[in-house]
Amino acid sequence: MDLFIQRLFDGLFNGAIYASLALALVTIYRSTGLLNFAQAELATFSAYVGLVLAGGSMGASFGGLAGTGLLDGLPGYPFSVPVAVLLATIFGMVAGALLEVVIFRGLERGSPLALVNVTIGLLIVLSGLTTQFWGGAARIFPQLFPADFDDFVWIGGARLRYTTIGSWATLLVVLVVITLLMNRTKAGLAFRAITSNRESARLMGIPVGRTLMLGWAVAGGLGALAACLTASVVSFSPFTMLGALIYALAAATLGGLDSPKGAIVGGIIVAQAQTMIPGYLGLPTELAVVAAVIVLVVVLLFKPSGLFGTVRVERV
Amino acid sequence: MTIAETETAGATSSSPEIMLSVNGIEASYGAVQVLRDLSLEVPKGEVVVVLGANGAGKTTTLRAICNMVTCSGSVTLEGHEIGKSNTADIVNRGVAHVPQGRGTFPELSVKDNLYVGAYTRGDKDGVEDDIDRWFTKYPVLGERKDQTAGSLSGGEQQMLAVSRALMSRPKVLLLDEPSLGLAPIIIEDLFQTFKSINEEEGTTMLVVEQNANLALDIANKGYVLEAGEIVLEGNAKDLQNDPAVQEAYLGG
Ligand SMILES: Nc1ncnc2c1ncn2[C@@H]1O[C@H](COP(=O)(O)OP(=O)(O)OP(=O)(O)O)[C@@H](O)[C@H]1O
Ligand SMILES: [Mg+2]
Repeated sequence: MDLFIQRLFDGLFNGAIYASLALALVTIYRSTGLLNFAQAELATFSAYVGLVLAGGSMGASFGGLAGTGLLDGLPGYPFSVPVAVLLATIFGMVAGALLEVVIFRGLERGSPLALVNVTIGLLIVLSGLTTQFWGGAARIFPQLFPADFDDFVWIGGARLRYTTIGSWATLLVVLVVITLLMNRTKAGLAFRAITSNRESARLMGIPVGRTLMLGWAVAGGLGALAACLTASVVSFSPFTMLGALIYALAAATLGGLDSPKGAIVGGIIVAQAQTMIPGYLGLPTELAVVAAVIVLVVVLLFKPSGLFGTVRVERV
Repeated sequence: MTIAETETAGATSSSPEIMLSVNGIEASYGAVQVLRDLSLEVPKGEVVVVLGANGAGKTTTLRAICNMVTCSGSVTLEGHEIGKSNTADIVNRGVAHVPQGRGTFPELSVKDNLYVGAYTRGDKDGVEDDIDRWFTKYPVLGERKDQTAGSLSGGEQQMLAVSRALMSRPKVLLLDEPSLGLAPIIIEDLFQTFKSINEEEGTTMLVVEQNANLALDIANKGYVLEAGEIVLEGNAKDLQNDPAVQEAYLGG
């Protein structure tokens, strides 16, 4: 039993990360029909920006930038870790919104498959930029929540780490903010209208491109936050989030692709499968991704549109 | 010279009678031309109906007015060219559209559908008053204000679509086959609503219909559209008595 609770706790942290990334994917998918494969790379880039702002150790070219004293002019630099994470999240939001304006708005009439290829191209470009600026090696980021060996509480004979508690607390606050944004503001209403019926939304006078930016910003911010949380717990390389993206895609699909609630629940389930199944079956951790795939296949077998995916109720 | 010219242009174009004017528009989907040199005029405060069979180009005409399809030619609203404006601007200038098949937001609540209709408005209190007004007019919408629009019946959705369009307080209301898929008794009621809105609020209307009789009953003027061209126009009474129209659209 203790072991079960311990595995449950172990999966919770990854659950928060997958849930955030899956929610980012779903936010864009349900409003534009596009799966943004570059989500993880954008998040990674944002996390490195956060690292720079926190005055963390620099790679080759940003070391040079820091040496020029360019950043020293910033008031408050180097920032405390929470502030740096907040700024990285804002950077992710702005970058996400820019992607919509600069790249995807002009491609609105493109076929979905062509657009997916564009996101894969973006993935490669962003990944290249990150490695170019900061090198490909894994590095230790500053801790956002206490993450040392003994930073945990005992619950039910198992260890619940502070980082897990902190990450979920952060995610829950962010979810509340997003919910308020979507349900209590005019821009949120417009975004939901576009998601529901884009043609009609346009006929009601909603500026579609400008409103979609909101979704891209939310997704960019969520991804950046997920990457910062990850980076402050594990040693982080430009490729860490790409692994998380695989699980997040599974999580989003499991939840039904167009359901925010599904993304969260999917993230939790996939992360639990990742720790539970290899744990109980004695599989090597390298095969953990197999567990996620098994759960995905089994669920889709019985619920083809995912756990919470819409089967549209629309009468003629 | 320029001043004089501008003044004359202003004088003719701001002629008080014409609310919406479509001048020689042409539209195609790919290589297929759907509208040919189509012109029509909707006088201020009147109801104008466009009759036409399936595929005649009625929907395309309304979409062209809102710049939802690419077309050439000119469209003016109260004398101002809107042909090149984007859809959001056109709605802002006072054109509301009830699309074919109603186009409600199925996942949004009835009330939120109405709020979206008021997107272009800035007066919060006025919006709340208007919502109350529609809930009084259509109590069934009020009873279901928190239900999703997708759960409404076809007739209720049409009421919602019309209320939603009027939430923007438009100068012109474009209605695309409002009778489609509704029981005759509901259609009659709906057209009475259009008539009373037109009379009470002075809202100008351009209605596209296949249900010619009811539409002509409330209309001042009508056009007949065939294969993308206007083949007949006249005042509503004359069209109702026209043998060709009777045969094609009034069941003999
Ligand atoms: N998106 C589109 N792509 C290609 N062709 C189209 C498209 N929309 C309409 N058409 C064609 O344009 C012509 C006119 O269509 P439109 O929808 O305007 O007709 P309509 O008069 O509204 O017909 P209905 O009464 O059936 O609604 C039809 O031949 C139709 O097949
Ligand atoms: Mg039509």
